[in-house]
Amino acid sequence: MAPVIEARGLTHEYPDGTTAIRDVDLTVDRGERVAVVGANGSGKSTLQLALGGLVEPTAGAVTYFGETSDAEAVRDRLGVLLQDPDDYLFNTTVREDIEYGPAQLGQPRETARRRVDALAAELGLEDLLDRPPFRLSGGEKQRAAVASVLAFDPEVLLLDEPFGAVDARYRERIRESVTDRDGTLLWFTPSLDAVPEVAERVVLVSRNGSIAADGPVREILTDRTLLRDHGLRPPATVRLFEGLVEREKLPLTVEAARRYLRRDE
Amino acid sequence: MTGALARTVESISGALRAVFAAEQVAAEDGFLQGRDPRVTLLSLGGFALAVMLARTPAVSLGLGVVTVALALLSSVPLRELLARSAVVPAAAAVVVLPQAVLLPGDALASVLGVAVTDAGVAYVVRFTLRVWVGVALLSLLTVTTPFSALVAAMRELRVPVALVWVLAVTYRYLFLFFDELQRLVLARDSRTTDSAGARSEWRDAKRLAGTFLLRTLDRGERVGRGMRARGGARPPSPYGRPRAVDGYDYALSACAVAAVVGAGVVRWLP
Repeated sequence: MAPVIEARGLTHEYPDGTTAIRDVDLTVDRGERVAVVGANGSGKSTLQLALGGLVEPTAGAVTYFGETSDAEAVRDRLGVLLQDPDDYLFNTTVREDIEYGPAQLGQPRETARRRVDALAAELGLEDLLDRPPFRLSGGEKQRAAVASVLAFDPEVLLLDEPFGAVDARYRERIRESVTDRDGTLLWFTPSLDAVPEVAERVVLVSRNGSIAADGPVREILTDRTLLRDHGLRPPATVRLFEGLVEREKLPLTVEAARRYLRRDE
Repeated sequence: MTGALARTVESISGALRAVFAAEQVAAEDGFLQGRDPRVTLLSLGGFALAVMLARTPAVSLGLGVVTVALALLSSVPLRELLARSAVVPAAAAVVVLPQAVLLPGDALASVLGVAVTDAGVAYVVRFTLRVWVGVALLSLLTVTTPFSALVAAMRELRVPVALVWVLAVTYRYLFLFFDELQRLVLARDSRTTDSAGARSEWRDAKRLAGTFLLRTLDRGERVGRGMRARGGARPPSPYGRPRAVDGYDYALSACAVAAVVGAGVVRWLP
């Protein structure tokens, strides 16, 4: 089966001469959950935009679903969530913003309405649907932006720091909403704590915008030297158990750490 | 907020955001809210056309009364309607004011040795009244009908896509533009005191103007991407909000047609 996203030699240089991403080769297969991690300014967001067909690469190309390099032709299959929810919410009510994607992509109104109502319940937006987006708090805006991407049920999600200002309860809900579906997920983040819960593969972007490492979650997240060299640090549980437990057994999540401690008792 | 600059920005942003708040009026039960958006658009457009055709104050005044009646029937507070529609006619009045002394006619009074003529005053009043009624009708339309419903109605009425697109994008970006300006002023305000003085404020204003343009461009680009990510590269196609066309819709349409015909007849009557 053809990969859903295949980038070859992807490079993007901004007009001021800054090269944000450099010669990126990346293949993502159907159903894969990939975390793209890197320090601030490493080019993660530009990579997300380039993979989502929202900026024109200076060099290289992306092929979608083995069919086309034109992102607009497959726009209804790609869900790209930008980093700042304010860039997403420009309609007069939250409901209109969530309906914007399905309407533009030609989905039937009834299907969209059912989906909007379900997402509103899932992400705690029921009471906010008729409010203007500018009156929402930061976390509420973020949830509304996530709902507006999920609303047209894309096959591939490219989410840039979807937790943003969201509180712990809704972080969990967002995580469930995006991982409980069958599609492909690319999660762009500088924070590694949530990565083991959402991804099975990690792509590490170096400070110069190239790919420094690409491998299974455990292999990357337990490599302190690699992470430190790229301005990152391992998840809290890894830091806690480092030196106490062999690398292969380091718990990556709080749940795994708890299981480990109980077993020790 | 401190300083004249900040207060000005706050007032402009507040006025624009009030348009968003108008969505609450649009959600209320009222005469125009209950009409099919296509009928509302065509009918209020018809009344506006009648105002443009009107050449006598009586016709303009009559259409003004119709506008006020529609506002009352639609639960739109008159004060709000006046506030929304006052600026443009006031500016128009200033623009045409010289006509009061330029148009030949019987002198009504003399200001600094220049005669104010009856024909000139009548022209200024007629012009301002027509502008006010036209703007009030437009305000009524935007207050009682959600913008997305208007866009959908325009598409259903086969208004050229390019025109709908321009209107839709202009509307969106207008708010983002002032939102960005307000953010910028807030950022400045959080690090400024009242005692900064006029000179300092002027210096800040110059700096802000440059930064504002760059930030607006950047924000516009980002919002453009946000739209494209959800199919925004395609022509605008919001879900319509059609309603079953009923007797009231027909009555409103008939009134609009009668107004256009009546204004035209009065205008071209020998």
